[in-house]
Amino acid sequence: MEEKRLQTLIEEMWPRLKKKHLYPEIPIPKVGRVIDSFDEKSDQEDSNQRVGLEMKEKQMTINPAFIASMKDKMSEENLIEALLDHGITHYTFCPWDFQTHLMLYAEAKKVLGDKESAKRAANYFIDVIADTHCVKMRETEIPELHRNLKKGNVEKVIASLYQRIWGIDMGLTPSQFESRQNEEVVRRLARIPYLDRSRWTESIRKFARSLKPLLILEEKEKESRGGGKGDSNPQGEHNLNHYSYEEIDEGLREYAQKTMGLSEFREVVEDFSSELKEMGYGIEAGMGRGRGAPIDADILFYMKLAEHYSIPLKKIPMEEAGTLHPHSHSPWEVGSPFQDIDVWTSFGKIMPGITQVWKKREGKGRGKVEEAPDCLIIIDSSGSMINPRKSLSYAVLGAACATNAYLKNDSKVAVYNFSDAPMGGREILDYTENKNEIYRTLCRYFGGGTALDLEDMMPLIKKEKKVDLFIITDMKITNLETLIGFFGKIQNRITAVHIGENPYASRFEKAVEKKKNINIFTVKKKEDIPHIVLGSIRQYFNTMQNNHSA
Amino acid sequence: MQNVSPKKKTSSPPRQGFGLLYNPFEEFKTFQVTKTEIPLDRIVQSTEQVMDQIRLGYEKLLEEEAKELVWMVQYNTIIKAYEVAEKYIREIDYSAEDIEDFCFALENTHRIPYLIPGPAGIYISALCNYAKEEELVLKLSELKTEINLIGFRLPKGKRLKVEGDTGDFTGIGLEGGELEVEGNAKNWTGAGMRSGRILVKKNIGLHTGEWMMGGEIYVGGRVRGLGNIVEGKVYERDKLVYPGKARYPNLYY
Repeated sequence: MEEKRLQTLIEEMWPRLKKKHLYPEIPIPKVGRVIDSFDEKSDQEDSNQRVGLEMKEKQMTINPAFIASMKDKMSEENLIEALLDHGITHYTFCPWDFQTHLMLYAEAKKVLGDKESAKRAANYFIDVIADTHCVKMRETEIPELHRNLKKGNVEKVIASLYQRIWGIDMGLTPSQFESRQNEEVVRRLARIPYLDRSRWTESIRKFARSLKPLLILEEKEKESRGGGKGDSNPQGEHNLNHYSYEEIDEGLREYAQKTMGLSEFREVVEDFSSELKEMGYGIEAGMGRGRGAPIDADILFYMKLAEHYSIPLKKIPMEEAGTLHPHSHSPWEVGSPFQDIDVWTSFGKIMPGITQVWKKREGKGRGKVEEAPDCLIIIDSSGSMINPRKSLSYAVLGAACATNAYLKNDSKVAVYNFSDAPMGGREILDYTENKNEIYRTLCRYFGGGTALDLEDMMPLIKKEKKVDLFIITDMKITNLETLIGFFGKIQNRITAVHIGENPYASRFEKAVEKKKNINIFTVKKKEDIPHIVLGSIRQYFNTMQNNHSA
Repeated sequence: MQNVSPKKKTSSPPRQGFGLLYNPFEEFKTFQVTKTEIPLDRIVQSTEQVMDQIRLGYEKLLEEEAKELVWMVQYNTIIKAYEVAEKYIREIDYSAEDIEDFCFALENTHRIPYLIPGPAGIYISALCNYAKEEELVLKLSELKTEINLIGFRLPKGKRLKVEGDTGDFTGIGLEGGELEVEGNAKNWTGAGMRSGRILVKKNIGLHTGEWMMGGEIYVGGRVRGLGNIVEGKVYERDKLVYPGKARYPNLYY
């Protein structure tokens, strides 16, 4: 009954609030039971009184128990408005997206070193920005809300900061705020340009640095109380629940691209591993029980980074029993071919989630259609190559981009990862569509000598009728002549990518320059990767077509 | 042809269906965002202004004293650079937090293009010596660069606490002030100091107290090597190491 009344109140307020915040794309808030995720083990009634707002994938939920507990201090309408102003500003200003959230957390961790403290510092920072933006840009009851909230030591400092930067009395009595250390912290915090988005990286560091002694003290107090996760934020916790799977996916992709640092990315992913697992990362396909495999942050890094680079793949005529015709729709993804897009059902938009592609099926009749063949990726992981699990390896990134190109064209990929193959330094993965397995094999590093064993590769090449070969190496292969001889004999399309320039690469280039089915690319920097064109051998392509028409 | 006046559109409620045209942005005609001036705007603006002045002073110091972006640590170059720094600093009204911000800005090449350790250290020391506050705390533990020459000529009545490590020539020519380093200090700490107290909580490098004329140096960790001390006291983990049992200068022990 009470919930219904509050829901009606929210429905009445919502058009005005939407207008105030310039019509954000947020669903109407709900009223419902909110369980404190920070301290689920604690007494439910108690936790209900602590958290006022929950935000999950843009859906805000107001806790009626919190509203009831604040009844004597604030009017219901003002309280709800303050909570919603705060919640909406998280979506419209700070953190705005998952990448910004990750960036703020990562910077705080650099200063604080500890995962929990960094999360708390980032959350406080996000709240200060959101509330300050609201106070400056909108008419809001947020100051009144803060005046009435129960405060710990850090919250008192934050309230004092608000008093200073908003110029509004927060009802702090001198006894509450007498510590000299706290005063010094507030003085430092007040100098931060919170509303300048371009300086948030620098600002969060300063914020964390200033708040560090208080956060350490808070951690110690928590330990002395016997652990737990501490008090919750009445304005709602900031965790991955805020974001949808797509937003997290995009955030990770952007973060990988921005940092370009494997260790930095790994650290952040490992810190959020439990939340990411809840979102479905690191879970293998198939059913079963148990904790599941841990998220391999290195593989995720290359996966997300490779999504930024799209390598074009030229298709070749393949003999089939019939022709293909559009059969059903499937969602389009970034990097998928454009030619299959159905513009009519995609509303003329190229946007993941909206755009649809035709899934084709084989029909009756005979003919030849263009298709992408399967691909065998040969990757060098000898000592002269960079260890992909220690720093960014262009070889693995290039191979990952090639993998994506073939998989998106419904082809399969096999991997031959070699170092000193005749001595057992190699890993072979048969043709598969399993992206995780392919990436795992690509990221394997042997770090030994460099020799190929053709006997290992032959079954993979003979198995498929037409298979593309993609080799990525620095060409410092001890049996390079054997490889050149082998490539001279086969007619498959070969894309050879060598990392950096050296005499071995020149020797390879010279030896195969007359072979029309071999295309060579050099990768010196990551920007060279998109220039690779898989199977871009025009002459070879034309010959195939001529032969076919003859 | 029927004309629908804008007035009519605003007065009527949003229509369902396709019968009449309705401008969905009509409401914005009357909508006004109320931007409130808050004290944060003023604080940030004045902080930026002070930082610009401090940065300008530093750039002028480099122009005058490190034209080729090379600077040699010599007695007269230090004195000269300090005099130039004093000239520019006297005109600025700043606080301890501004000094700290400047230290971090030195590492940000977008804000300050050149970090030349010698003049930067002299300039920071001058800023500390001329600050209004008697007690200054510089939280520099996250700074990647160790600042040289910090605490140069720190006068009597001033107390400077540095959180983090410091570089070479820490507290040289100290003039009665109290310098506390929470981390390590490198070589030539307290060289030529006249009076005052230096407390280094962790370890200290070579040539400690070279040509020291008075005052005390307290080291919480290890002293890697003493310099040619004229007068004064050096303590290592509460134990007096100079004057005392003969210890040869710059010997590793």
